[in-house]
Amino acid sequence: MTKYVLKRLGLAVITAYIVLSLTFICVKLLPFERPLGGDAVQTAYFDKQYHLGYVQRFEYENPSYGELLYKTKPDKGRSYYYYQVPVLEQYGKWISNIVTKWDWGYSKNYQPNVAATVIIGSRIGYSMKLNIISTLLAVPIGILFGIWAALKKNTMTDHTISTLVMVFISVPSFVLISFMMRVFCYNLQWLPSTWPADTAPFWNRVKGYIIPVFCLSFGSICLYCRYVRAELCEILESDYLLLARTKGLTRRQAIVRHALKNAMVPVFPMVLGEVLSIMGGSMILENLYSIPGVGKLFILSLNYRDFDILFVDMAIFTTFGLMAGVLIDLSYGFIDPRIRMGAKK
Amino acid sequence: MAENEYLNSIEFRPDDFALVQKDMRIMDKKFETKPTTFAKDAFARFCKNKSSVVGFFIVSILILLAIIVPIVSPANIDNVSTPERFLAPKLFPAGTGFWDGTRTTKHVVYDRDNEIPALSDKNSVATIKSSLVSITVDEEPTYIDVASPYGIGGYVVFASDAPVADTVYKFKSASTVFTDKDHYIFNATFSDEEGVSDSMLGEYCVYLNIAGENVMIRDYSRDYSPISFDISAALKEKGIASGKGQIVFELKSSAEKNTYVLIETAVLSADAGVENEEDLATISISDATDFINIGDKNDLGYWACTGRKGIHHSEIYYCDYTIDTYMVVYGNADEVTYSASELYSWIEKGWCLYDASVGPESFVRLTDDCPIDEVVSQDVAGITKKLSRIVAKGWNYRKLGYTEMPSFLFGTDASGFDLVKRAFTGLRTSLILGLCTAAFCFCFGLIWGSISGYFGGNVDIAMERFCEILSGVPFIVVMTLAMLHFGRNFVTFVMALCLTGWMGTAARTRTQFYRFKGREYVLASRTLGASDWRLIFKHILPNSMGTIITGSVLMISSVIFSEASLAYLNLGLEGQKSFGVMMAANQQYLALYPNLVIFPAVIIALMEISLNLFGNGLRDAFNPTLKGSE
Repeated sequence: MTKYVLKRLGLAVITAYIVLSLTFICVKLLPFERPLGGDAVQTAYFDKQYHLGYVQRFEYENPSYGELLYKTKPDKGRSYYYYQVPVLEQYGKWISNIVTKWDWGYSKNYQPNVAATVIIGSRIGYSMKLNIISTLLAVPIGILFGIWAALKKNTMTDHTISTLVMVFISVPSFVLISFMMRVFCYNLQWLPSTWPADTAPFWNRVKGYIIPVFCLSFGSICLYCRYVRAELCEILESDYLLLARTKGLTRRQAIVRHALKNAMVPVFPMVLGEVLSIMGGSMILENLYSIPGVGKLFILSLNYRDFDILFVDMAIFTTFGLMAGVLIDLSYGFIDPRIRMGAKK
Repeated sequence: MAENEYLNSIEFRPDDFALVQKDMRIMDKKFETKPTTFAKDAFARFCKNKSSVVGFFIVSILILLAIIVPIVSPANIDNVSTPERFLAPKLFPAGTGFWDGTRTTKHVVYDRDNEIPALSDKNSVATIKSSLVSITVDEEPTYIDVASPYGIGGYVVFASDAPVADTVYKFKSASTVFTDKDHYIFNATFSDEEGVSDSMLGEYCVYLNIAGENVMIRDYSRDYSPISFDISAALKEKGIASGKGQIVFELKSSAEKNTYVLIETAVLSADAGVENEEDLATISISDATDFINIGDKNDLGYWACTGRKGIHHSEIYYCDYTIDTYMVVYGNADEVTYSASELYSWIEKGWCLYDASVGPESFVRLTDDCPIDEVVSQDVAGITKKLSRIVAKGWNYRKLGYTEMPSFLFGTDASGFDLVKRAFTGLRTSLILGLCTAAFCFCFGLIWGSISGYFGGNVDIAMERFCEILSGVPFIVVMTLAMLHFGRNFVTFVMALCLTGWMGTAARTRTQFYRFKGREYVLASRTLGASDWRLIFKHILPNSMGTIITGSVLMISSVIFSEASLAYLNLGLEGQKSFGVMMAANQQYLALYPNLVIFPAVIIALMEISLNLFGNGLRDAFNPTLKGSE
């Protein structure tokens, strides 16, 4: 088991490394764009880039080095000339910067010359808070509905729940958000139509959570419900449950003690995975509801052509995604000893 | 050995053998069921699943609409037509109250003079009047401290502009002639309301400044009772026969707070027939809101103010109204001026007849293309009496190039495009995108999965690791990078979607190959000397086709979804009329024109739901073991 865990983790790290490297090189291969700010901002930006090793600085014009990126205003009769460093050399510098200094670069236009990690750090809280709340809401509701549907299999209750689940899984999230905003924000005017500011009164902030949490948890509720129903239906028809009944257990006892525990086996890893993978934030929701989270930051940095932030954001999405995958696979083994992940035939 | 020699020595001829039981019926029971094929069986199972059949029909209808509507519909979706923007959806004739091209707006300032809602657009009063379906004016007025052109009444606030001690502010009228005859009277009313805009009522005086002398009307006081002052009598007393004078209000400031006086009216009047009757009316403050509006708008300066003047408690009414949006745009236009060259071009096209020497009566309308119904008047210019322009009445839709009143089922968007055509054109783009992607992913995934599954071993391990790394890259990252490098065109989209999309098909195919490659029929075929190629494509693949096809159908739905989601992240398709880009662009009108968001949302939700139902039905049909499970 330990060997398998190590193998999976190792593979995840290698994948993350390859993905991030490819992303870095792809982003760096894009044509260089100068910051939009004034001379002071530009000079500060290029200085930072020079110290990080992504551009080269000369005190004279040096056309043989490559493309001239920027020339500072003469100061005491002296100008600096900044040149682009070859991409692979930047790549090496980038790795050493991260490993030795944990330096992921600086914002270019969005908040000029602020460290990307600082910007991400100021925003990740919003995304995490939302996702944790919505998961806390989605898991019990989804599981309860799933159990209910399975116990009433092939009755009206089951059909209604299953149809609703089918419909809500198919409806794209942006459609759901639009409808909710239309009804609750504009028609009834119960809820704010954008994310309330941090300075807003407490109740307004609580109200601001309702639509995002609801929209985030809706998909998960449907997903959990579907899985629990399918799993529980299968177990309810299994031989060991029949045995439990023949031993003299009541239906309730058999279900609570035997069926439910086993039905949770595929659901629990899903919960874990979901918590991790949506840590990154839902981009569409954050964009539509103007939530200042990392998902919204992704769009902002793309619009500002702020590739350093974009890159860190991508790294977060990638890492969380991979971690979730590993965690799902590993937790199967921990929860259900019958399952031996990675075992040979 | 001997036996072998013996066997070799025997010669066999076909005649030596005879078939036993050649024409005998060896079955002891007839088949009770008809023979069936896999496809027939799957079809029968599919038909049993009602929801899938419904899903299939809805998908078919939507696809048919996506093909037919963009070809058949004559509506314009290429050239922006500003007057036609934001028309309401219309299915039934106007006046039915539901889906009839009307739009109800609540809480709009009421324009009392014209009896219409005060609208900011440039449509004329007559157009709006003729388009109004219903209007309900609030019973209670609303009081505001802003001079609205639709307001009435209230008080002129004459106030000091800063809390300073010992300053006197003056508020004086333009000068006009007063005489000791003709009963020149000054009437004024005030309000004693406290605490207006956090200031306090001030001490003030009113006097008439005439011929260099001040005739006191009310001395400094805090008396806010009405004034009625006979100017002529006062002049007689002072011995002034006549002179130019002006009414002056003086306000004392206070160091503590701003001070103010609220003047409701300040009216100058005289006997009828005096020379300066009009002057008197102009400088009178008979309605505070009107006074402030005129002063502010035209800056006529009948009253000069050294302090601050404003309005308090101006009365406006709000109204709720329902308007026929189609009548506003296409309705009976007022008299519109057309140039002579326009008229001649219509005559040339054979739309109408007109004789300028006879006049408007000679107008004859020949075809429905003609944008005017009747000529009201004409202008002739110069010595030659050449026709320069005509004023005519007509339906506006003719001017916009329609032969009859248009109606748009879903309304029109911000560019004046018909939403039905726009939506289905977008859906067509999305479907084509989905089909292209699914086709590529299907082919590539099939080959990849076949090789990986069939050969297994090290080949499989290497190919699997490759997939693992590729699938580790989040979809959004792939899309973003592809679009940054190659632009947001159709080919990039297909490429980026394919880059990770084929892995699903590959994984499914691989599993199917693992399942079937050890089966007896494969072994039998291999024993007979079949090549790998033949085994893969002739024997194993047909058996796993069902599952793979199902995956491809579901893939189309996921591509449509991805395209729309990306558009919401400002990464939409450019240069194509894409569904997602349309939805994302319409999102901002959710509050004002919900039809722009709701109709496309319903279409895409319907498409997704029915594609999923159809796909699930297919999956169940092709794989009997999955029956009943979701």
